[in-house]
Amino acid sequence: MRLHLIELTLFSTYAELRAERARSYLGLLWWIVEPAMNMGVYYLVFAVIFKLGGPDYIPFLLIGLTLWQWFKSCISHGGYSIWQQLPLIRQVKLPLQVFPSVQILADTVKFLCILAILLIVLWSTGYPPNIAYLALLPVLLVELVFVAACTYVVAAVVPLVPDLRFIIEQVLQVVMFLSGIVFALDGLPPVLRRWFELNPLVELVAAGRGILMRGEWPDWFGLGRVALISLVLYAFGAWLIQRLTPRYVKLPT
Amino acid sequence: MSEPIIRLDNVGVAFNAQLRVGSSRFWALEDVSLTLERGERLGVVGRNGSGKSTLLRTIAGIITPDRGRLTRAPVSCQLLSLALGFVPHLSGRDNAVLSGLMLGLRRREIVRCLPAILEFSELGDFFDQPISSYSTGMLMRLGFSVAIQVDPDVLLIDEVLAVGDAEFQQKSGAALRERINSGKTIVFVSHGDAQIRQICDRALWIEHGRSMLEGEVDDVLAAYHAALQAGPAAASP
Repeated sequence: MRLHLIELTLFSTYAELRAERARSYLGLLWWIVEPAMNMGVYYLVFAVIFKLGGPDYIPFLLIGLTLWQWFKSCISHGGYSIWQQLPLIRQVKLPLQVFPSVQILADTVKFLCILAILLIVLWSTGYPPNIAYLALLPVLLVELVFVAACTYVVAAVVPLVPDLRFIIEQVLQVVMFLSGIVFALDGLPPVLRRWFELNPLVELVAAGRGILMRGEWPDWFGLGRVALISLVLYAFGAWLIQRLTPRYVKLPT
Repeated sequence: MSEPIIRLDNVGVAFNAQLRVGSSRFWALEDVSLTLERGERLGVVGRNGSGKSTLLRTIAGIITPDRGRLTRAPVSCQLLSLALGFVPHLSGRDNAVLSGLMLGLRRREIVRCLPAILEFSELGDFFDQPISSYSTGMLMRLGFSVAIQVDPDVLLIDEVLAVGDAEFQQKSGAALRERINSGKTIVFVSHGDAQIRQICDRALWIEHGRSMLEGEVDDVLAAYHAALQAGPAAASP
């Protein structure tokens, strides 16, 4: 049973990526070009027009946006996955966690491609590989759990309240600015900053920047806290999908 | 032959009428009871909207009852679904694997069946082309060829017995009859009396989500047709 679900998830992910490639002329190239254009827009607005940040602003922005896009694309693809698959769900009995998981895996593959390019850009602009890179794997794993947890929760709720689709994009936009992706949170008053730092994304993005830009080891205590929150949230999301499954098939078509 | 594997006692299923706050529910199944024994072939008859498809999906375990009791021995129940989970831009081969996985097969089982699927579907070189280039008939052939590979303990069939053009209809019908006659437990929903008589050894008539009569095929069909002729309202209890 378990192995069957793993096979189903992996093959569906392959199918998803394969189908996505076939849907446009440039295919795989869009995995890179789209986020690159997105980063270009932020660079233009915040670095060139608003003249934010100092000499380190470009790597600061690129790392932040790379980690952010992973989160965002998982939510906006995986979050709708159960809702989009309702016709299928009415036909066959499957653990529905499969559907958001497929989107998360597909977006993670794309993220890894972008990460590889980011690393090349960093190395060629004076931020060489360092020993702290060893900590990259745990940081990314924790982010993966956090991303999956949030995606599960959204995916569980959207079928019951499809109206959320109109809100989610806006909320994501706000969360991005609150997570210190495009500008540092250093300028905030300490009281406010403490609240902002409760956001797991702030911790994860800071850890990523520390490793890639300055060769610093992450704050292990902070990372552990985020890992714990993510695991609990993940379990909750999986439980919520399980719990709500009987209701999805009874929704109006 | 006397081991009940599925049993429904006064089962009711309610759906949400629409996506509105405080929207009412409607009962697609009001009160249905049945027992299904191993190796038995049960036919389900009833008018459109009487709850036949809902009943099948309840037996399949896709829908959980809102009232009454459903007991099921540890058996696999599968709705015969054509083209389940097909993705337009993928090849017939990839879609066969994907659909097979959705239907509960292991990957190596489907890969082993691929030559049989290719042969049965008569797709030839098209098998490795994206299914977005297929005609409706080709899609049905591929869908049926995959679906027939699945071998659950209880096979649930909603109308589809044969698909495609006349020739393929004969072939798919024969393949399915072979499956049905191999001692499998079947629940078969149909409007066709002839098919029910041919396949089933017992029948259930449901009306407005209630089981009206369960028993010998001829008795049930006779009662059902008597009610049909008496007019639409007469069957209502």
